[in-house]
Amino acid sequence: MSKYNSTLSLSVLKFAMKIISKNAKVATNLTRSIVPVRYYGAGPPLDRQSIGDRILLNLKLFDKVDPEKVTLESRFKEDLELDSLDHVEVIMAIEDEFGFEIPDQDAEHMHTPALIVQYIMDKFDVLETPAH
Amino acid sequence: MTSLTTTILSHKQRVCALYKEAARNLQSMYPERHRFRYHVVLLRDRFDQNAHITDVREAKKILVEGEKELWEKHYPSRIRFGESPGGAAFNRTKYIPDWVLDTWHPYEKAAFPEYFARREIRKKEYLERWENKYGQKAAEEV
Repeated sequence: MSKYNSTLSLSVLKFAMKIISKNAKVATNLTRSIVPVRYYGAGPPLDRQSIGDRILLNLKLFDKVDPEKVTLESRFKEDLELDSLDHVEVIMAIEDEFGFEIPDQDAEHMHTPALIVQYIMDKFDVLETPAH
Repeated sequence: MTSLTTTILSHKQRVCALYKEAARNLQSMYPERHRFRYHVVLLRDRFDQNAHITDVREAKKILVEGEKELWEKHYPSRIRFGESPGGAAFNRTKYIPDWVLDTWHPYEKAAFPEYFARREIRKKEYLERWENKYGQKAAEEV
């Protein structure tokens, strides 16, 4: 009886080991294929360069703006020939990009992309150079 | 838009505010990006049709009518950014500026003697660094 039991338990054990090893393999494959995504994270780290790049990309995708003319120093009204309602749309695109609302009285002083960069750096307390 | 007027806005500022608010209203109404953009283009066309009006009284009448229309058609739960005014996370994390520690009473500071001793040294170093960077003269002017 005891012999029978032991053989049974041994075969069960082997079977269990087989399943576990198989599942372990599947599990490792799964963990390898899952790309880590941060939901509700703090967002990418900000610096002057990355803020400027994101703003310029937004502007270049704007259909009334010539993508080759856009620089950080180009003025919306004079150089890019955007009227005040276009300016509102640009500010809305920047709001969507960085996820916060820009009040109207601040928005109307943003004549160039560089001024928007400065505003966002002030808003998020981005340091010009790394701390000492 | 607020019901209580605290500043005098020019006509242009009111038109821009109306356009932005109306566009955000459409965004709340049509969450899909393409439908939202389609309706914003139609909205923009309505604004552009009245852009050439030079008669102040007529322009103001159209503006007031537009604001009334926005109020009548406004979406009950407008999209808001979380951290911005009106958002769910607005003022959730309180920003306490560093200088508040300097206003502590000496008895309170005495509870953390090591920290405040080091803090005084750091403040001195900061001032020296600032003077080295911008010069003594700038420091006097400030």
